[in-house]
Amino acid sequence: MNDKILPTTVVGSYPKPRWLNHLIREHSDSSLSDEVMESAYSDSIKAVVKDHELAGVDILWDGEMRREEMTSYFAEHINGFSIYGEVRVWGNNYYRKPSIVDELSYRDELTVSEYRNLRGLTEHDIKVPITGPYTIVDWSFNEHYRTKEDAVYALAEVINQELKALVAAGASFIQIDDPAIPTHVDELEIARNSVEIATKGVKAYTGLHICYGDYSKLYPQVLDFSVDQLDFELANKSFQDISIFREHDFTKDIGFGCVDVHTRRIESVDEIKGNIKKAFEIVEPKRVYVDPDCGLKLLSSQVSFQKLSNMCAAARELRGEL
Amino acid sequence: MEYTLSTVGSYPRPEWFSDYLKKQEGLQKGSRVGIDDSYMRALAEVLGEQKKSGIRLLTDGQLLWQNMLCHLCDSLDGFRLSGLIRYFDNNMYYQMPEAVGRVERGNPIILDEYRAACSVEKNIKPVLSCYSLVDLSQNRFYGDEKEFLMDVAEVMNQEAKALAGAGASIIQVDEPSLLFADKEGVEAAGEALEVLTKGVNASFILATYFRDAKGLYPEILDYPIDVLGLDFVEGLKENLKLIKEHPTEKIIQAGVVDGRTTLMEKPSEVKEVIDSITELVSGEKLFLSPNTGLEYLPYVKASEKMGVLSASVD
Ligand SMILES: [Zn+2]
Repeated sequence: MNDKILPTTVVGSYPKPRWLNHLIREHSDSSLSDEVMESAYSDSIKAVVKDHELAGVDILWDGEMRREEMTSYFAEHINGFSIYGEVRVWGNNYYRKPSIVDELSYRDELTVSEYRNLRGLTEHDIKVPITGPYTIVDWSFNEHYRTKEDAVYALAEVINQELKALVAAGASFIQIDDPAIPTHVDELEIARNSVEIATKGVKAYTGLHICYGDYSKLYPQVLDFSVDQLDFELANKSFQDISIFREHDFTKDIGFGCVDVHTRRIESVDEIKGNIKKAFEIVEPKRVYVDPDCGLKLLSSQVSFQKLSNMCAAARELRGEL
Repeated sequence: MEYTLSTVGSYPRPEWFSDYLKKQEGLQKGSRVGIDDSYMRALAEVLGEQKKSGIRLLTDGQLLWQNMLCHLCDSLDGFRLSGLIRYFDNNMYYQMPEAVGRVERGNPIILDEYRAACSVEKNIKPVLSCYSLVDLSQNRFYGDEKEFLMDVAEVMNQEAKALAGAGASIIQVDEPSLLFADKEGVEAAGEALEVLTKGVNASFILATYFRDAKGLYPEILDYPIDVLGLDFVEGLKENLKLIKEHPTEKIIQAGVVDGRTTLMEKPSEVKEVIDSITELVSGEKLFLSPNTGLEYLPYVKASEKMGVLSASVD
């Protein structure tokens, strides 16, 4: 998809600027108008894009400034979902857990306007991340469909429409985020089918991001998923999973998580170069996309920027050496 | 028939209260809010919701608990908390407790919360856990798991005595992990329960949920407990078979509505399930409840779920 060898990219999220968090709070207390909030989102995305460009990222996204989480953000725009309130994830962290209360169908665009907006802000290639139907259903209540499987496939059809709309708007790289897949490996077949439905007839380069979990339970079956690239977190587990991927011929491009998003420690350029080289034990360099393990939103802006800068410098130096 | 209706333990926090805790405690780890005016107001609210729905044996909703485990070890010596782990097959996580020293009860665990609830309402059922706490923790101190388990049973016994002393006539011990235990674990849990209940002037409920109790039979019948909590949502068929094949004088606390979905059962469906249980257990030996705590639901749906329960026995 990218002409450059070892293109660098992000998984999706980026820390929100402090001032934005401030404004989001004021907006939720109704002391800030929608109009001002809207311009704040818009400005924050420009700042993120600039950060990514300065760091040297080749394939960008907007940092997901408008998203608080990855389920209800989409569910709110799809017919058939209803949200009754928040449910706890852990400690004081909650999310608005949607319920499927009726047949699911496409209502309006989920990511197309975000894509268009970003397209107007940068000359760089863009990757659009969207939560996969399997994960959205897994993180929702099902009041309508007889089985979870039925609900997943119905939602996959909706996502398929959105992906086609993205392509029509010009998107060439779409990433499906499916962190729920490794939490139910017995339902891998359902997840596989959902990705097949979601990507059917979608004329774009597609990736599947799966983080956390035990990859040995997914591999090599996940090679059958109908995407061009599999994107994994590897740094967080000290690259131990490489041996899993070496057991079978890795027949897809790899999104190679080479920077740990769970630690504030900033990996040096040399260290990251060493990390990226480990990908070559799995596939040849031209099949490697360089990115952090996962979204960066839990880190500070400064740390995130440094990590991205070093990651891009490492890829740059490696390109020269190859 | 007037059945005793109960809740299993957790209750969603009223949204204003979770917002308050977010502000006071932060999202990661800040200082813990204790029993303050806001807590008392939230407590009165969830107790009121339960009473309104016809629940007779109430719980305080575990409103200060970060999750099913950490709140119990917070006040114990010997534990520290580490990384996030998924809680069974729920989209809910807990910080894994690690035993890094001898487990001791430096302070009461839930006694103050129990007292607070009693100042608002009667018939409060306090909730502890023992085997599951050990099972879902990492042991970095004890030579063997059994020793770890017995020490936790010992501190829970001290807590149970304190609770009984404060007026608790019925105490629930939540043990979902037991349903996943091997025979050795099932036996060890029996010994732990002997220690936990010893000399405590109260009745005990052993609450199990998330699946059927096949692995616990027949040992569970010899456990020193008065009430068997079984999940008739996830394990309907098997649990019916078990109570049929193993008649017991113990009371059954039957989880008959699904505490983990916003889908509301029809009271007539729930009644059918209750009827199939009362064919095997007499009505006065039956408590009815949701199968799990209710904190898996948005706040507004918890009372609706309890409403389904009470409508099904009308
Ligand atoms: Zn991720």
